[in-house]
Amino acid sequence: MNSNPRHDRPLQSPTRRSLFTAAAAVTGSLAAWPTLTLAGAAGPGSNRLVLVILRGGLDGLGAAPAVGDADFAAARGPLGQYAAPPLRIDATFSLHPNLVELHAMVGQGEAAIVHAVGLPYRERSHFDAQQVLESGGTRPYELSTGWLGRALAASGSKGLALNTTVPLVLRGRADVDTWAPSVLPDPSADLVARLERMYAGDPALATALERARQLRADTPTAMQDAAPATMAGSGPRPGAFVTLSRRAAEFLAQPNGPQAAVLEIGGWDTHANQANPNGPLAAGLRQLDLGLAALRTGLSAGGAWGRTVVILVSEFGREVAVNGTLGTDHGTGGVAFVLGGAVQGGRVLADWPGLAKGQRHEGRDLRITNDLRALLKGVLGDHLQITARSLDVEVFPDSGKVKPLQLLRG
Amino acid sequence: MAVSPQLQAAIAAHRFGLGEPDLGIVGRDAEGWLAAQIGPADAARGSGLLDTPGALRLVADERERRELARNPPPGQTAEQVVAGHYRETLIADARSRLATAAATRRPFAERLHWFWANHFTVSVLKGSTRGLVGAFERDAIRPNIAGRFETLLVAATTHPAMLRYLDNWLSAGPNSRVVTFEARRAARRSEGARVSGINENLAREVLELHTLGAEGARNGAYTQADVTAFAAVLTGWRVARDPVADGNRFDRNWHEPGRKTVLGKSYPEGPEALLEVLRDLARHPATARFIATKLARHFVADEPPPALVDRLAAVYLRSDGQLGDLYRELIHHEAAWSTPPSKLKTPEEFVVSTARLLVAGERMFERPDINAAGAVFALGQRVMAAPSPAGWSDRGEDWLGPDAVWKRVEWATRLADRAGRSVDARRLAVESLGPRLGPETARQIERAADGSQALALLLLAPEFQRR
Repeated sequence: MNSNPRHDRPLQSPTRRSLFTAAAAVTGSLAAWPTLTLAGAAGPGSNRLVLVILRGGLDGLGAAPAVGDADFAAARGPLGQYAAPPLRIDATFSLHPNLVELHAMVGQGEAAIVHAVGLPYRERSHFDAQQVLESGGTRPYELSTGWLGRALAASGSKGLALNTTVPLVLRGRADVDTWAPSVLPDPSADLVARLERMYAGDPALATALERARQLRADTPTAMQDAAPATMAGSGPRPGAFVTLSRRAAEFLAQPNGPQAAVLEIGGWDTHANQANPNGPLAAGLRQLDLGLAALRTGLSAGGAWGRTVVILVSEFGREVAVNGTLGTDHGTGGVAFVLGGAVQGGRVLADWPGLAKGQRHEGRDLRITNDLRALLKGVLGDHLQITARSLDVEVFPDSGKVKPLQLLRG
Repeated sequence: MAVSPQLQAAIAAHRFGLGEPDLGIVGRDAEGWLAAQIGPADAARGSGLLDTPGALRLVADERERRELARNPPPGQTAEQVVAGHYRETLIADARSRLATAAATRRPFAERLHWFWANHFTVSVLKGSTRGLVGAFERDAIRPNIAGRFETLLVAATTHPAMLRYLDNWLSAGPNSRVVTFEARRAARRSEGARVSGINENLAREVLELHTLGAEGARNGAYTQADVTAFAAVLTGWRVARDPVADGNRFDRNWHEPGRKTVLGKSYPEGPEALLEVLRDLARHPATARFIATKLARHFVADEPPPALVDRLAAVYLRSDGQLGDLYRELIHHEAAWSTPPSKLKTPEEFVVSTARLLVAGERMFERPDINAAGAVFALGQRVMAAPSPAGWSDRGEDWLGPDAVWKRVEWATRLADRAGRSVDARRLAVESLGPRLGPETARQIERAADGSQALALLLLAPEFQRR
């Protein structure tokens, strides 16, 4: 497996380079946006995909409680108490009271809930589980590229990470950009040209510099404002999420923008104080909900919401029962959400395993009855037109037995 | 060895150190220069630094601040009252960490301190740990980086910052006295018990991140049952209510009674069991392999040469985890000098090595207009605020996103605008990089439009970005 997959793409074609230089000469004129079009990019009006990775292990039963399950109250104890009534979906399921916008989207038939969902991985390490979640393998570290990166490469589409670095899920041979807000003025075009010459012998630095410069040129001025103080490292805190969602929508809505964007939001590792109405879970869900609303608003304004699918996934769920500190420890089965104008929503997809102790995985966790890959394969196949063979072999290797879930409007 | 003394000096300064403005500082015996640095890390520089009892008092005082915040003084919001509580300490800690590294004459020891502080991550991003991270580094890590791994492991695991960061101070044995008492009290008042049982966060991360490694779990070195049993061993290891009585962190009332079986071995009830489990973990072959791999990855290559890892693991086991022996093996190993410089500096390494290059030393970190801690943050790595218990990534690809590289360009440009007129970047390039300075970089620096641009190019050169 190539250890530096995203750096072996050929550098700029001469045409694009000269176009860029000309545009940059016009004092970095922002009229340069058409340069974002790449050879393989899908045309205007193509479908859009947003992947939101909830890092830390979202408590599926906290976000989408099965309040109608006869064992729910006993199994959850103090975690079953909410500051406001949960938002009802059907006789069994509700949403956390802070997921107001998401609940409204369910009501409008634009959002679906996939419950008791999880990875082939059954252990409880964040780091291994995130590796499997993003790589699309069945065991940690058997793959070193990401399923979305491979899917985009297969369809010749372009991806965008709303972060300073490229998350594993987007690594592969695909065209991937990263973008995060900046507080400093841009370096001179002259310096950048000299850097390019200096990086001739270091392809990794050269590629990163070239991609960054293009993205800066493609960013409307309104977006080049102050960075939120949270744009650091690999785990952006929830505060930045709304800003990044808004910007993701602006990028995706551009006619020649990326087809897929990846957003990350951390803070779900709720070992303590989980039911507190001002605690980490409630605050995180509120931020998440606002971010989803920002995505919907931005993509609707750009006329792209109707051809958008947003997927929310986490590396695992948490134990059903409360731990010793009014929180939950790492578990297995959890919840995923799928929303967007292209989604056949208004429903919960679950082969519900039940919450009684005997029905749990190892007596502890919500049992996984939906393979997360079924959800992902369904969306990639129906929405990004990735072929079944490619999904079974390249995107999710050895997953032929995992049948895609039907999630989109017919 | 085919490596010339000059090239060895350059590799020693950059790969194992934090850069030097002149390789003459290293001299002609690079291995000797590094070996002489093996030992406890320097005392931290700076003022306003709290020791662990002092930091715990600060934490205890926060409660009073919260009370005060209910009736904030005129002109202040409640949020401001509480937020300001740790401000001075956080600034002093971050500044001290950077200034110590910028000024030290033992940069190899400082790098090792960073390595272990990252291995045993505690982060100010967790509210209950704010204010304790600097004290943790100074009291648990710095003195212990060159002793036995077991000593370091015990110091880190039982430090109040770690006990709070990974929730152990709130974890109680299900059959402990406090849980029994709380259950009765809660039943009397018909409400939920505040303390009811185990929190296994610390147990899991000690096994997965600090000793056996995730690979250990995948190879069956430990199971969920071991995590649960180890968590029971850890119950009672809390943070002393009275920080002055710092020595006594074990609270029997919270401890799970009875013997526990971890990794197939039975341990007695009581505080000594933790020390015994940690000793056994420190001696485990999976730990040797995990530490050897991480150390080799940090200093040599993202995918370290297997022969080097094997050798380090063997030395670890043979020496019973003597870290000094491990470091000596590393710096005398052929692979440490022959592997090309492929590691990308982290933002913190980049900013500190820039300060050393400019001989700005501590001064750079006192200047608010440069704001070095802010710079590290803007480059994607907030000092002492790792995003998760796994710490910061030690792989170049995680720091090589287009946006991350662009932010380095922006910062270097701005710094060079201020400093570039007073330094000769051409001379500095030769003296600091020696034979590692490549012809293309030398040419670009030589042809730069002005001194500022020349310095920016030097700071951004592959030879300075990589080690």
